Amino acid sequence: MKIFIDDREIEAKEGQSVLDAALDAGIFIPHLCSHPDLEAKGGCRLCSIEVEGEDKAVPACETIVKDGMKVTVNGPKAEKVRRMSMELILASHPADCTGCPKYGKCELQSMYQYMGVSPERWRKKSRPVPNNDSNPLISHLFTRCIRCGRCIRACQDLRGVKVLDYINTPQGIRAGIPDGKSLAEAGCRFCGACIEVCPTGSIVDQVKIMKDNRSYADNIVPCRATCPARVDIPRFIRYIKNGDFDKATAVIRERVPFPETLGSVCTHPCETECKRGEVNEPLSICRLKRAAGVNDSGAWKARVRKDAPTGKKAAVIGAGPAGLTAAYYLAKKGHEVTVFEKNPKAGGQCRYGIPYYRLPDELLDKEIDAMLESGFTLKTDTEAPAPADLLASGFDTVLVAVGTHQGTKLPLEGGDLPGVYLNAEFLKRSRMGDPMPVGEKVMILGGGSVAYDCARTAIRLGAKEVHVACLESPEKMTASKDEIEEGAEEGVILHAAHSFRRITGTDKAEGVELQKIERFYFDENHRAVIDLVEGSNQIIPVDNVIFAVGQKPFGTDKMGLELTHGPYIAADENLATSMAGVYAAGDVVTGTKTVIDAIAAGRKAAEQMDLFMGGDGDISEELLDNEVPSPFIGHIDGFAALKRGEPKVADAKERAHSFSLVEQPFSCDQAKCEAERCLQCDLRLQLTRPKLWNEY
Amino acid sequence: MKQMEADVIVVAAGLSGLAASISAAENGAKVLTFEKSTTTGGAANMGMGPLGVGSRIQREHMVSLTPGEAFRKHMYFTHYRVDARMVRDYYFKSGETIDWLQEMGVEFAGVQRAFSAPEDTRPYSDGEFTWHVVQPEGGGIPGPRAATAMTKKMTERATDLGVEFLFETPVQKLIKEDGKVVGVIAKDKNGEEIEARAKAVIVATGGFGDNPVMIKEQTGYEFGKTIFNFAVPGMKGDGLKMCWEAGAGKEPCTMELMYQLPDNMNHFILDGAFRQPCLWVNRNGERFMPEDQIGNTTFTGNAITAQPGMVAFAIFDSKLLKKYKKNGPDIPSHVHPHDLYDHFDEQWERDLADGYEPCTQADTIEELAEKAGIDVDGLVAQVEEYNEMCDGGFDEIFEKDRRYMQPIAKAPFYCLRQNVGAYGSLGGVKINHKTQVMTQEAKVIPGLYCVGTDACNIFGDSYPFILSGNTMGFCLNSGRIAGENAAAEALGDDFDF
Repeated sequence: MKIFIDDREIEAKEGQSVLDAALDAGIFIPHLCSHPDLEAKGGCRLCSIEVEGEDKAVPACETIVKDGMKVTVNGPKAEKVRRMSMELILASHPADCTGCPKYGKCELQSMYQYMGVSPERWRKKSRPVPNNDSNPLISHLFTRCIRCGRCIRACQDLRGVKVLDYINTPQGIRAGIPDGKSLAEAGCRFCGACIEVCPTGSIVDQVKIMKDNRSYADNIVPCRATCPARVDIPRFIRYIKNGDFDKATAVIRERVPFPETLGSVCTHPCETECKRGEVNEPLSICRLKRAAGVNDSGAWKARVRKDAPTGKKAAVIGAGPAGLTAAYYLAKKGHEVTVFEKNPKAGGQCRYGIPYYRLPDELLDKEIDAMLESGFTLKTDTEAPAPADLLASGFDTVLVAVGTHQGTKLPLEGGDLPGVYLNAEFLKRSRMGDPMPVGEKVMILGGGSVAYDCARTAIRLGAKEVHVACLESPEKMTASKDEIEEGAEEGVILHAAHSFRRITGTDKAEGVELQKIERFYFDENHRAVIDLVEGSNQIIPVDNVIFAVGQKPFGTDKMGLELTHGPYIAADENLATSMAGVYAAGDVVTGTKTVIDAIAAGRKAAEQMDLFMGGDGDISEELLDNEVPSPFIGHIDGFAALKRGEPKVADAKERAHSFSLVEQPFSCDQAKCEAERCLQCDLRLQLTRPKLWNEY
Repeated sequence: MKQMEADVIVVAAGLSGLAASISAAENGAKVLTFEKSTTTGGAANMGMGPLGVGSRIQREHMVSLTPGEAFRKHMYFTHYRVDARMVRDYYFKSGETIDWLQEMGVEFAGVQRAFSAPEDTRPYSDGEFTWHVVQPEGGGIPGPRAATAMTKKMTERATDLGVEFLFETPVQKLIKEDGKVVGVIAKDKNGEEIEARAKAVIVATGGFGDNPVMIKEQTGYEFGKTIFNFAVPGMKGDGLKMCWEAGAGKEPCTMELMYQLPDNMNHFILDGAFRQPCLWVNRNGERFMPEDQIGNTTFTGNAITAQPGMVAFAIFDSKLLKKYKKNGPDIPSHVHPHDLYDHFDEQWERDLADGYEPCTQADTIEELAEKAGIDVDGLVAQVEEYNEMCDGGFDEIFEKDRRYMQPIAKAPFYCLRQNVGAYGSLGGVKINHKTQVMTQEAKVIPGLYCVGTDACNIFGDSYPFILSGNTMGFCLNSGRIAGENAAAEALGDDFDF
């Protein structure tokens, strides 16, 4: 139908409000209480208009269009109501905007900029309400509330959470939580819709949540932003919550080819950023990923990308997570890819560094086999020719992803005695079924994950007494808390904040002299400074010592590429090395990092190598339809208190004698329960941001 | 990465950025303006109006101050420690800038001064009628935020001229190639990067009032401890950082000082109620300035900075409070509510109950000093001396206006701690009078301009309140100067001012 606004004919839809019809047609009518995603309530009166045939000004948001309706936006009656309404809002809103976190992004500010009204002819009456920062994630600054009710409608109607409502206070009516409850007590789900729709700075994200160096969207959904591979975490968790594990896997697989592997060993930086951590404990994102992987039926394969052959050839040296990821995506882009792996099996550190009890062969085989379906050739037990030779033999591009497979020793007295081992070799030999002999007592030097892998492997190989010594204090150790705890249950004795003075013994290692550290820090030149406690030396008798103080690349000196910091390959921000067409990715560039970092690097390498071979560099794929999740999440009593789910872990005494799996995946019910705890921060980004006058 | 191109890129759409965008577009340039918030106007949305000297409005109001006189006054105020050519170009343009604004539809309520000195100090510190206060659209008395009406008109003018605004899209860094600035890298709301190229870039991001680390590094003040400035959200020092990173020279940064309460907004009634010429002392209990000057927020802010611990205390007694409640304040303020004493008891009781640190009430001077953290003996002696002088009707120490010589005698006594405050930061990026950014050795960096508070190096150590409207005045005029020069540079015209 047609209506006329200020004599302009516009198209309107049946049942639409005049406000929506005008805004759709690009005609701005001031408004504050109405919001594109919420039902109109006509409270603020800023959208007052005059309709031909009616005596009084009416709110445009509550006036339904009629064919041929004639509307005047700025008629004297409407202007009078609009102006008075705005002046009344401003008369009770604090005049000092400068301390307000919403400054510059405030709809009220934009509105008074547009209307240019001053509150001076009304008595100013601010209604001070103390700021409330006692709730997690959300700050309430209700001094700034203009009683538009948007947050209440968002909480009650849109989300169905029913926490916010109008409350009566001695200073007048305003938005708030009835009965003086905290958000947690009231059953808040911390979805943030109230923040998103608040036109002023009354309900805002806590300052610490919003980091300057991140985009708005990344601040709202920090888990996804923090994941090196940018897995759409809230989306897959929502599918798990609904019991749809196939779709959950598909979401994960849109970004990474190893869901279950990652679910078993990822260092999950996402959980550190998870906003639920502010409420009680973070979501168990990593374990949920494992649950998705375990319950995967392979349905995602139906939509896997496979581009037409390009006739181009790529070589990948090293079948670790970085190399395999790159090969997988390059193959899907239609390139002919060959992966060279000098070990008998693919997997890199996942296979030869991480012990079986954390990441069994069968799991790796399953995921690598699925990747091989993309059509790349895997040559195991094969030493790759040098990159230059590969290029000469017909490959268009080469990726070096050989990782860091050589353990390093500290220059320590006694370091070369028999019985002193290196982490990488020790773990690899154990994994290949040819373990290095361990005596009764073993000490591991180092405080990271690898140190714990060595210690727990030593226990499983029969050592009776296993020590871990490291410079760092327990809080600063890079091993995860779970690892340290599980190790302790299995009998690992930890000497945190100890310096290793020497390895004793004449013909073989017999002991390690340790000394307590008073303070360990890095000076302004990033050099380690260690202050020792005088006279705290002790010698712990051992039969074997295992260095777990880092690993480095092996064989890179023969590749004809520019190196950096010793054996590491120099690569620029696009992973290009000093030789045209040759790229490098993963630990061999960055030093030993995590599996998820390697996968992210593998993806980037695939993009760059595709570009180099004339492709568009786009390796993305859609493995499922883009379903819009329901904005209605409902009320859950005690939501804030829901405890983080814990998986079933094998009994310490039993597991210490075998390499069987320590931690069981979540059951489907456990996973669904855990997924229910998600705040669904991403739903907020679905809300429409009202267009301001300066955007019309 | 998205690619864009223009003749001139403006970084931020506050007052100076808007002025630069409009000027560049008026001179024929295709302009792209990046803004990290959703609205234009930046900090100017809080203001009331800019300085102008020699405008049509002033002539109509018989204000005879000439740009040349304003220039001289400014240079005496700053002891010639600032770029005289920049100051000269600014004042000589400022009157015409008001006319320019009027032509785009901005209305002014008139021309005012922000500060009127007591008669006996007028020769030293009076305000000139240079402040062009913006008339709110549709009438009404101008108050704080009145300048938004100007922002709106300028935004509309910019849009009419084809300036393209990119909202919620902060610029991350400048692109410099072969010694020239040739564009910017920006990031939109969803994190997508944009590479925008242009022949000239104008940086106008408004200083670092909201960046405690930079405040400490650049000025030595500690936010929340020794200074409680307006931290207008978003004023992170982006522009200074990107200019310095691109090789810009540094000028000393200052804070645009005044004084206020911690968490001022939630204690606004008290802020206004104590801003009176009652008894003001430092931590030792000693008076430190004639209290009839406390309406001069710049001088008072400076004076508090010079006191031990950078704090001062305003004290009155019950009799004085009763008088304020009955007759209104001795010094009225155009910022605070006119009926503030009606709300005094309510706010005071609540703040006392909540333990709001700056406020103290006691029945004896000793107890008051003890609670407030003032030297007890010092305050007792000072009150005794002050009350004697009040009885005598003459301030023998500072010769404060005798009307305000009212004793501190009747319990309970009220005391409010006053801290150093500031509007924001000033200066930092070295520019010439064409607002071209220069290296430390005063060599121009081609293609780069910096304007507004990021480059406001002309105030010396203090805001020149004698010429009111100066902060916005410099933003507007430096922005215009940059827009004209940048357009000329971009379009290859031989254009000189």
